[in-house]
Amino acid sequence: MPFSSLKNGEFIGRQDELSALYKRVLMAEWGQAQSVVLFGHRGIGKSELLKQLFGHLFWKQDRVAPFSYTVNPALLSVAAFSKTYLIGFLCQRLAFLKKEQALLYQDGISIDGLSLLIEESEAGWAKEILDQYIQCAGDPLDSLRIALAAPHRSSLSTGMPVAVLLDDFHWIKGLRIDGVPDARLASLFQEAITHKKTPHIISGNAPELQEMPVVSGLERILVPPLGPEGASARASALLSAYEATGTVPPLLLRHLGGNPFYLGCVVAKACSKSNPDEKDFWNAYIQEIMEGQLVLSWSTVLKGFFPDLGMRRVALAIAYKIHHTAEPLSCQRIAKSFALTDDRAHDVAYNLYLAGIIRGELGVFRAEEDRVLRDVIDCLYLREVLTKSTHELTEYFLAALVPQKGHVARYDMALPMVKEAELIAAQGLEQIGKNLNLNPETIGQLQIAVIEACINAIEYSRGRGDNIYVSVIVDEDQLEVSVESAGPEFIIRETGEPFRDQEAAKGPGRGWGIKLMKRFVDEIEFEKTALGTKIVLIKKIEKSTGRKKESAISHE
Amino acid sequence: MSNFSLSSRSSGDIAVMMPKGYINDIAAECLEQENEQFLGHGMKKLVVNFSDVKFINTIGLSVFLGMMQKTLENNSILCFTNMKKDHQAIFEIAGLIKHVKVFKDEKDAFIYLDGRP
Repeated sequence: MPFSSLKNGEFIGRQDELSALYKRVLMAEWGQAQSVVLFGHRGIGKSELLKQLFGHLFWKQDRVAPFSYTVNPALLSVAAFSKTYLIGFLCQRLAFLKKEQALLYQDGISIDGLSLLIEESEAGWAKEILDQYIQCAGDPLDSLRIALAAPHRSSLSTGMPVAVLLDDFHWIKGLRIDGVPDARLASLFQEAITHKKTPHIISGNAPELQEMPVVSGLERILVPPLGPEGASARASALLSAYEATGTVPPLLLRHLGGNPFYLGCVVAKACSKSNPDEKDFWNAYIQEIMEGQLVLSWSTVLKGFFPDLGMRRVALAIAYKIHHTAEPLSCQRIAKSFALTDDRAHDVAYNLYLAGIIRGELGVFRAEEDRVLRDVIDCLYLREVLTKSTHELTEYFLAALVPQKGHVARYDMALPMVKEAELIAAQGLEQIGKNLNLNPETIGQLQIAVIEACINAIEYSRGRGDNIYVSVIVDEDQLEVSVESAGPEFIIRETGEPFRDQEAAKGPGRGWGIKLMKRFVDEIEFEKTALGTKIVLIKKIEKSTGRKKESAISHE
Repeated sequence: MSNFSLSSRSSGDIAVMMPKGYINDIAAECLEQENEQFLGHGMKKLVVNFSDVKFINTIGLSVFLGMMQKTLENNSILCFTNMKKDHQAIFEIAGLIKHVKVFKDEKDAFIYLDGRP
């Protein structure tokens, strides 16, 4: 779709770039416009800029006809590409001629249908181009040449220059005849992009474009990240569009690096609440990098470059290392670190570079300056390679990203699996409660639950490990105690009931522990972890006085 | 040093057991044995005073179940006193509270038991 789907007022922070491109394209009227390539990180807004430019050219002037085409990786046979390119151009050109928006959406029209349309429009120049295309339909190369030259020919025939806006152009290197990709086919664009009455504005994945000879000689225009003011204004506009109040925390806004896609994902997620607060925005960000559109987008890129699962894991591990190493890494060093051949290390690193996940400079590779990307890599690596649980990832990112409040404290204990070790955890909890002046009743209930969690952990991990691990995290409004052990999962997640030993479960007293824990805490979660199993117990406390809001017993 | 101790006394035909500390499986067995001794001596009115009990875990709780069954088989009466709200909740969760008489303190339990044969 050539037009932007953004509502009026939502395209913020890019007016200067849009204005500069608009003026540049209008120079085609005097035969002085040059083709350019838009460069910028993924999600930075290149495609949106092209759509906005198309809208301006279509509605706000009548001197240069706009033609917008997004290369579709599913239509890369020369025959299919030529046909869609030519039909797209002729329809859009006629739409501009008649100022008839509906014609922009005739992409699926047949050649016969297009012929009729051209006849109705009395556009002789278009008929000539189409007739020539029909005559050469049996020769894919000739068809491609005719399609690519169509904007220029129309310009010569009508005197009306054409601005060709090409998005996702990097896919062009996959153009194929008889199923065989041939990167040289892209060079057929060479002639079309040199005409100064048909400037081509090209966009796509920057690292791949950089490696394509056909565009390497073109002027590059950098689409930079939004500045602080632009990002803030864009965030406000998005919040208004969702009819939500609130402000994206400045630290988070900086973390998003002025990337409109990242910003859009986080605001959309946070706006599942009508009045998101600071914590909601951070939680939304963490959800996005763990399971939202944001991580999905990067995962798709990674899968595209590393379809093989084994290689994807290696690629993730290398990306993780590069993003956590201050100095640039050579292929030799990568090869040594991951026990790969130099060639294999180079292939992986080069593909990571083409994917936009790392930077490649003079034979060495370093991290992209994109903190969100680094978080995504961390998340994927920790989850896919180190098999960390969702809870562990959430904890990791909360600790790493979210500004810590003054009252937050964490206590970790490793308890040997000896008789009554659970009392150590319970008594530690009691002391923590005293130190922080928490309600003894709240602590007492949590102690009962923790004792049960420890007993379960000890019982089910016997013979599998030496210790159980208890962590107490004191937040402003809750106490969270996690008990992790090497034991297998002993509950059915859906029901929260024990399942390991059905016969034993029927015996007296079995299953009471889970019920008891549920009774004495506000939330309970069971997780499969890299170590084994983790029980997370959460008990709410009041912010101001550190006292629990209501006794769990009083609910009954 | 153990986290559990048990003291007991009898007053007329009423036996009082006073567990102290953490009631787990071992402690509950200790309590069960004491209970059986009282039953063996023909005591049919039994009181467990929970005032010094700090924690009860569910393994200890399961031993209580056996203790209650034996008391019922002997046509005896088992009373619990001085229970904290949370301890009472633990017995409720296990469905054991219906098998015993719960009183605020020993005095109330004695008043109830004095009127019984």
